[in-house]
Amino acid sequence: MGWLIDLIPLSYTDAVVVIGAAILGLTSGVLGSFAVLRERSLVGDAIAHAALPGVCIAFLLTGAKDAGSLIVGAAFAGIAAAVLMVAIEHTSRIRPDAAIGVVLSCFFSLGIVLLTYIASQNDASQAGLEKYLFGQAAGLLERDLVVMAALAGASLLVVVAGFRILKVALFDSDFAASLGLPVRILDIAMTLLLVVAVVIGVRMVGAILMVAMLISPVVAARQLTHRLRTLLPLAGVLGAAIGIAGALLATGSELPTGPVVVVVGFCVALAAVLFSPGRGALWRARHVAAERRRAAFEGVLLEVETAMHAGPPPTTEELRLATGRPRAQLATTLRSLERAGLLDRDGAEHRLRLTEAGAAAAHELEQRRDLWAAWLEHGSSLDLPDAREPDPRDVRASLGDDAADRLQELATT
Amino acid sequence: MSGAAALEVRRITVSYGARPVLWDVDATFPEGSLSAIVGPNGAGKSTLLRAALGLIPVDSGQSLISGHPARAALDHVAYVPQREAVDWDFPITVGEVVAMGRYRSTGWFRRVGRADHAIAEAALDRVGMAAYGDRQIGQLSGGQRQRVFFARALAQETPLLVMDEPFAGIDARTQASLLELLGELRDEGRSIVIVHHELATVRERFDWALLLNVRAIACGPAADALAPEMLARAYGTGAEALQWAG
Amino acid sequence: MNDDLVIIVTAGLAATACGLLGPFLVLRRAALLSDAVSHAVLPGIVATWLLFQTRAPLAVIIGGAVFAVLCVLAIDGLRSTGLVRSDAAIGLVFPLLFALGVLGVTRYASGIHLDLDSTIYGEIAFAPFDVWNVAGIEVARSVAIIGTIAALNLVFVVLAWKELKATTFDPGFAQTIGLRPQLLSRVMLIAVAITAVTAFESVGAILVVTLLIVPGATAYLLTDRLALMVALAVGIGWLSAVAGYWGAVAGDSSIAGTMGLVCALCFALALLVSPKYGLVATALRRRRRSAATATALAAER
Repeated sequence: MGWLIDLIPLSYTDAVVVIGAAILGLTSGVLGSFAVLRERSLVGDAIAHAALPGVCIAFLLTGAKDAGSLIVGAAFAGIAAAVLMVAIEHTSRIRPDAAIGVVLSCFFSLGIVLLTYIASQNDASQAGLEKYLFGQAAGLLERDLVVMAALAGASLLVVVAGFRILKVALFDSDFAASLGLPVRILDIAMTLLLVVAVVIGVRMVGAILMVAMLISPVVAARQLTHRLRTLLPLAGVLGAAIGIAGALLATGSELPTGPVVVVVGFCVALAAVLFSPGRGALWRARHVAAERRRAAFEGVLLEVETAMHAGPPPTTEELRLATGRPRAQLATTLRSLERAGLLDRDGAEHRLRLTEAGAAAAHELEQRRDLWAAWLEHGSSLDLPDAREPDPRDVRASLGDDAADRLQELATT
Repeated sequence: MSGAAALEVRRITVSYGARPVLWDVDATFPEGSLSAIVGPNGAGKSTLLRAALGLIPVDSGQSLISGHPARAALDHVAYVPQREAVDWDFPITVGEVVAMGRYRSTGWFRRVGRADHAIAEAALDRVGMAAYGDRQIGQLSGGQRQRVFFARALAQETPLLVMDEPFAGIDARTQASLLELLGELRDEGRSIVIVHHELATVRERFDWALLLNVRAIACGPAADALAPEMLARAYGTGAEALQWAG
Repeated sequence: MNDDLVIIVTAGLAATACGLLGPFLVLRRAALLSDAVSHAVLPGIVATWLLFQTRAPLAVIIGGAVFAVLCVLAIDGLRSTGLVRSDAAIGLVFPLLFALGVLGVTRYASGIHLDLDSTIYGEIAFAPFDVWNVAGIEVARSVAIIGTIAALNLVFVVLAWKELKATTFDPGFAQTIGLRPQLLSRVMLIAVAITAVTAFESVGAILVVTLLIVPGATAYLLTDRLALMVALAVGIGWLSAVAGYWGAVAGDSSIAGTMGLVCALCFALALLVSPKYGLVATALRRRRRSAATATALAAER
């Protein structure tokens, strides 16, 4: 580990913190997937809170603030909490969220009772146990890094080795059960992996903030990919990047590492939720607006055509009364039809009339609708290379010209 | 038949993501009749109901209940959605569920009065569940649960009843007796629109049908709307669909 | 009032305020919102200090409430994008707010001894020492404040009882009868936020979380009636207030922690021996059924 620390152009302590944050981000990104994708994101919160009584008991048993034994205490308490949560959920009508909440408050209450007990027993040596609540990256040593890296490596190895089984269990636990996989044991196994991540991180970012480390990389990665095979590594990479960026920012501004990393993680997740291409909230809002405009555009085009067939070209007001469209929507749509050169306004009354291009566009639209009708009726007798299904509004584009021509033929005979 | 249709949708377009689920759908359901919405899976039947009642945003189009914009006329409708979403462990009794049918007329922050409780009890009695008022809903069978939600809709005492696949996964006896009940309600002058998948039942028992597959294929008297050539347009010319329609 | 009584009444009133809302959180699968809200209080305290240089209880409550409401709305907003599940939304928002609070303390407020521990463990033991004079009668401040909130919650739950019931049980239906489920859910979460903020100030964040989740979950194991579930939740809260206080005095331990442990004990008991949904009852029922099947099969043969 020493060479890596030397490699980083930072002071020794800062380099240790940055490497620690990277290891933590990588592991919690990958392992956090097992919480977030199972809709148990806050399991990590309960496990992290359970670290407090674990640490207290370890301290009471060994009487020393040795980092190693405290970690073991935290790990055992985390395992106990994990098993309890799974047990409550599986054996009773209690839902996952309440099971998590009950275990969390129960363990934390116990932790507080133990903490007060310790405080009343001896004077100074217990100070610092609360570090596990709020975290303290500054005290990290090279030795801690080695422990973290070993735990991280072992847990990632388990994930890689068991990837195919975990994938099935994550995706569809009923299906997994039908394959004869031990679902409940897998449930516990995935929760135990979370314990490892929490144990790695709780010293660094603290029990309360640890949960965010497990969630933000996964939420961000989830917006960028649909495949589990890419999701896990991506979450790991994002987690590591969040850890490194946060740690660098923190050392640069002399702020505590944990909170800064958490703030960075949130920003990354939020950015992904808002801006992810093809899925992000802003992208979708724009898409929906465009879709509405298109629907109105095509609808009004056809309505003008129908009105022209029925009688004299309509005025805007007549069209509004006939179609019941909102005034503002009709006005903007008519304007964009005009701008596209599909519509004219005639004479003093501004009667609406389709231009030649407009009539052609309306005709083409009718044809597209007929093509959809033809698909519904004759689609079954069409030879297609795969199970593709057309977009109703543009069958030709989604099926290809050959298939579309064939459909038209079938419809006319 | 008086002037306005019980339910009318005009050029409704709804899309989830890239594709339209409903595309320029026009349909009318006349007053005082038992109407069905029929179509293959994924045809947009449930979406049409929810769009018609203004429960989901539409890309374009409008919907009228007895000639009034749907949003303003929701108090004329009792809607029975598909039932998967219900939490059967919820600590609530059958009687309480049915009494919810009276909540709108009771108004915000008021207790449900004695007269309203009487209406709820009568509704429960009408579906044959009077003896079950004190049971927790989770303790009922699937058919009994559906009867409870029928009763809640009845208790709303609205001129229009809208139901989404009320007979999905329901035993034959319950379906028969509930269908009979729907017939009685129609004879009392109520309008009923339900999503249903059994073409044979629709032909025999329903007055009116909308055949839907993203677009409205046919809308009219049940026998006409479900004529073989119309069914072919909705389900495809496959022999299987026609046999099923048989 | 003597000091013991003040502490017990304070905790009991907190249990009442929480017990009235907790069952709805449990039924809406939103139990962990209480955890989120109680952590979001910290930046509120810090911001109040930074802006107004005060730690007066009322100012802190208002500052905390602002952030708690912000937390709830942010979670709601993230969830409504449809891209983030509600559990992940909770886990993204509250650590962010808590982290901002910690950063605020370390950067700007380290001199003022904003005691992080006491916000979390609570200082219920100090409740009797802070007294308000209301119309000539001396009332412990905590009792007055939490009593007010408990009364407000009671009014809210009683007034909006049928609306809460309908929107929690069947939001889709509630919407069709014009009950505005989303609005009501926001109002309820804001009530939870204000309750948590007010109660944490005297009993500590962890006890608030415990009182919002555990009695409600325990009551859920015991009954099939909503009204009874709420009553039981409040009752279990009072039980743990009384028993927890005496336990803490006897063992010279943290009052809030011991009360939390009594709650946990109640839950464990209900989980095991609830007549309807307890593990023992379920196991007995299963055994009886399999025995019945066995005899029936034997009789057939």
